Amino acid sequence: MSEIIDISNIIYSYIPVAIILVVALVMPPMTMFLVKTLSPRSRSAAKYSTYEAGSLPIGDARIQFNVEYYLYAIAFVLFDIEVLFLYPWATIFQGHGITQIATVEMLVFIFVVLFGYVYLLKKEALKWMM
Amino acid sequence: MELPEILFNPLVRSVIGLCLMGVVFVGAMAAVWFERKLSADIQQRYGPMRVGPHGLFQLVADAIKLFTKEDIIPKNADRLLFVSAPIVLMGSVFLMLVAIPFGAVIIDGESYPIAATEMDVSVLYIEAMSAISIIGIFMVAYSANNKYSVLGAFRNFARMIGYEVPLGICVVSVAIMAGSLNIVEIAEAQSPLWFIVKQPLGFIVFFIALMADMGRLPFDQNESEEELIAGWMTEYTSMRFGYCFFAEYIHLILGSMILTLLFLGGWNLPAVLTATPILGLILPTAFFLLKVALVILGIIAIRWAVPRFRIDQVVDLSWKRLLPLSLLNLGWVIGLGLLGV
Repeated sequence: MSEIIDISNIIYSYIPVAIILVVALVMPPMTMFLVKTLSPRSRSAAKYSTYEAGSLPIGDARIQFNVEYYLYAIAFVLFDIEVLFLYPWATIFQGHGITQIATVEMLVFIFVVLFGYVYLLKKEALKWMM
Repeated sequence: MELPEILFNPLVRSVIGLCLMGVVFVGAMAAVWFERKLSADIQQRYGPMRVGPHGLFQLVADAIKLFTKEDIIPKNADRLLFVSAPIVLMGSVFLMLVAIPFGAVIIDGESYPIAATEMDVSVLYIEAMSAISIIGIFMVAYSANNKYSVLGAFRNFARMIGYEVPLGICVVSVAIMAGSLNIVEIAEAQSPLWFIVKQPLGFIVFFIALMADMGRLPFDQNESEEELIAGWMTEYTSMRFGYCFFAEYIHLILGSMILTLLFLGGWNLPAVLTATPILGLILPTAFFLLKVALVILGIIAIRWAVPRFRIDQVVDLSWKRLLPLSLLNLGWVIGLGLLGV
């Protein structure tokens, strides 16, 4: 037995992910096919118009959105990447010799990002103005 | 006694995963019924009573209704996005489900989690898959080309990205304490003492951020049915609506499971209780699911006790309160770790 197909193998552990993904992709279209065969059909122009509290829709809903969303998005990317950097360090925090240095480095890193956070707060970039 | 080797075969595990999908679907239906009954009790109503004893089969009736309703795609909608958005939502919740253990069996002091797969980085994976639902919700709203939907989706976007960060920092704090990103090892690291005791602040922040992530009231600004009709899913009908609706409830169940695994001790029991073979097979899973049910009960009860927040309050809560608090909790965990607790 040179090669055992075992779930604890890092490649094989993703086989269920792939299979469930395929099921999740196939299930809604199949259900909608079932709905198409089961449900009644009747056509009228008003039914296919966009719902807007009973009146005819005015203009398009896909408008330009407020620029402040970009500020939130940038802040999000910044902090989320900070969190991503924390993940590998979190696993080696306990029971490894290099812990002390890595922790000091991480604390410096978090401190730098915190400085950016305070700057964002002072500049009122995280203030909801809509 | 050893587990038969076939249970470690990935294909067999996929079948187990499909069974768990079925379980979680039934669980979501039960959660909908439970929520309707509980909300009725809180408001001194009866709730569904007609179909089956205490309206137990109301959801079956609702499902039949959803299947026999006409599927309408609005003229102004983007057909491709409109059709594929429920697939993204379903993919998000089901891919989350793959890595989440639904309990464990303990044989001879060795515990085997009941999950579709085992990963070294399952917490990171679950969080990533959970975040995909933002894209699904935005696709639903943007494709429908409805003003209510788009408003709901923008609010959803502003809220979700705010709560993703404190959520991630709390997960990192838990991972530091457990020394692993594997959700099974994290659950087992809480064997004598749950993490809710070791980092209560982290639990509070994680719980609030999780509620916002699942879109439960007081954080359901994307839906807010009193002002936005049905928010992001206004234009959806029949089972397409059903999928969006079920995705939310499945997310509720899976989120409660994650909370139980990360902070409430998972399936850990004193070794005395699980020594005999039959108890070892049943008790850990039963204990775990009981805790999950209690968490769901709490979340539903909160929904009917707290009014919805305004969107600016929600965004401020995440960026100006929860983010510093989660960093404080991270510092607390680092301090405990350096002291060797």
